[in-house]
Amino acid sequence: MKFFTTFRKKSPWILHYNAGSCNGCDIEILASLAPKFDLERFGVINTGNPKQSDIFLVTGPVTYRSRERLVELYTQIPEPKVVVAVGSCTATGGVFRGMVNTEDGIDRYIPVDVYVPGCASSPQLIIDGLVKALEILEAKSKEIEKPFKLFGAIETIGNKLSRLNMAKKVHNDEN
Amino acid sequence: MKKTIQIPLGSQHISLLEPIRFKFECENERIIGVDADVGFVHRGVELACTRSFEFKQVGYVVARVCGLCAITHSLSYTLAVEKLLGYVANDRIKYLRMLMVELDRIHSHMLCLAHTAENAGFEALFMQIMGDRELVMEVQEAISGNRVQFDYISIGGVNRDLTSDLCDLIRKNLTILSEKMEILTGLFDNNWSLSLKYKGVGVLSLEDAYTYNALGPLARASGLATDVRAETSDFPYEALGYTMILESTGDIHARNFVRLREIVNSITMCQNIVDNLPIGEIQEKVKGKPKGEDIIRIEAPRGELFYLVRGNGTNMLERVRIKTPTFSGIPAMMEVFKGSQYADAPAILASFDPCMSCTAK
Ligand code: SF4
Repeated sequence: MKFFTTFRKKSPWILHYNAGSCNGCDIEILASLAPKFDLERFGVINTGNPKQSDIFLVTGPVTYRSRERLVELYTQIPEPKVVVAVGSCTATGGVFRGMVNTEDGIDRYIPVDVYVPGCASSPQLIIDGLVKALEILEAKSKEIEKPFKLFGAIETIGNKLSRLNMAKKVHNDEN
Repeated sequence: MKKTIQIPLGSQHISLLEPIRFKFECENERIIGVDADVGFVHRGVELACTRSFEFKQVGYVVARVCGLCAITHSLSYTLAVEKLLGYVANDRIKYLRMLMVELDRIHSHMLCLAHTAENAGFEALFMQIMGDRELVMEVQEAISGNRVQFDYISIGGVNRDLTSDLCDLIRKNLTILSEKMEILTGLFDNNWSLSLKYKGVGVLSLEDAYTYNALGPLARASGLATDVRAETSDFPYEALGYTMILESTGDIHARNFVRLREIVNSITMCQNIVDNLPIGEIQEKVKGKPKGEDIIRIEAPRGELFYLVRGNGTNMLERVRIKTPTFSGIPAMMEVFKGSQYADAPAILASFDPCMSCTAK
């Protein structure tokens, strides 16, 4: 397990999805992957495959046709995963708030961990958001990797095994 | 027995910046039929412009139709409204607006070149072009305060002035950029492995370009002489050294070359603008409410952008109609895909420089 933790921390891969944005934030994501801002120094690489990704970068208010795909992509990313909402319109709807075909932000459909503000959010902000996301990702992987025993420790009352007490201790042995 | 197989591309794919779905009908590796679905990002901007925003705000809303050519959208809208209000901008405002539009064209074309390179498998070239592109982004940020959505143009003028420090920065960065463009042009022209991916791939013939109403660099790469900058007289393009750039082969290589040479041309124009900037106010008072109907055409980085604005003398407009270049280019795109290899599809797609958020609005 140590193996996975190390590599997840050192190379979190991102999946980028455009849920109806104006492209402004998308090109800023591209720009932050490029040499000047160089997001890749954190080990980040842009993948097209949800099954290999750890961080989900979403831009845009959710449009009517993209919401199913958004949820589908989210469910395909394996745990632990972090969702970063890039841009004002992803967080609240921004200028598109209340337009006929859009929803007000992505957090109606999927849980969001980091909101990156700005219209368009600058590469510096995106990098800040991703660094924050890395912390959250680490915390989440720690949470997942805590050992827990399915049946609890064997306990006896008197000379008999106590099934009731064992059943209560379903969760991990620390609490 | 069925001989063809169907391969979908999109709506989420590594080679796509935006959601668009293609269904390719393939015979072995060869594409024989294409079906495109472009409406994933439809947001309803046109309707919102007439329902929830006043005409003074709409200029900033239509900029959010597309992040890449935001300035062209707000410029077209502003010009249309100014025409309705009977206002003609002075020369300084015109020059400043042109400067931003041309800078925007440079960075948009560079992004397209980079994206085409990436989709053809040249990751290092992508990084190189994106690195060079930062020179323009720096200039844009210095002039307008934001890198992408500038909101630089407002009705009656522009929002920030050009100081002499800024002029120096522009001159410096553009000089460096034009040197870099020479290197890039040499690379695109002479590199053997690039030519394998680009030359003779995704050809759009002149007749097809004409029949399917191709616009912008796509049309000019096939030799079709269409450019709104040469056809309208809203801006003094001719005086500032504009030349129409035409190629004849119509393949990806030609499209790349049209973009490369247009960048060089735009750099020259920007330098001319900075050197010959007239004196005047940058913001003037415009009174009245738009009444009547007007159309405007502006050359966006991808081709002709068309705006229709109808007002009825109140704060709310009656109709805003936006026709974007990619929308007109879709039939031509579908034609190019037919007969080419499936493996080339991402590179061909990127070479059109499609903008889906423009198309779906
Ligand atoms: S936040 Fe602004 S720039 Fe970013 S995608 Fe939304 S509208 Fe475009």
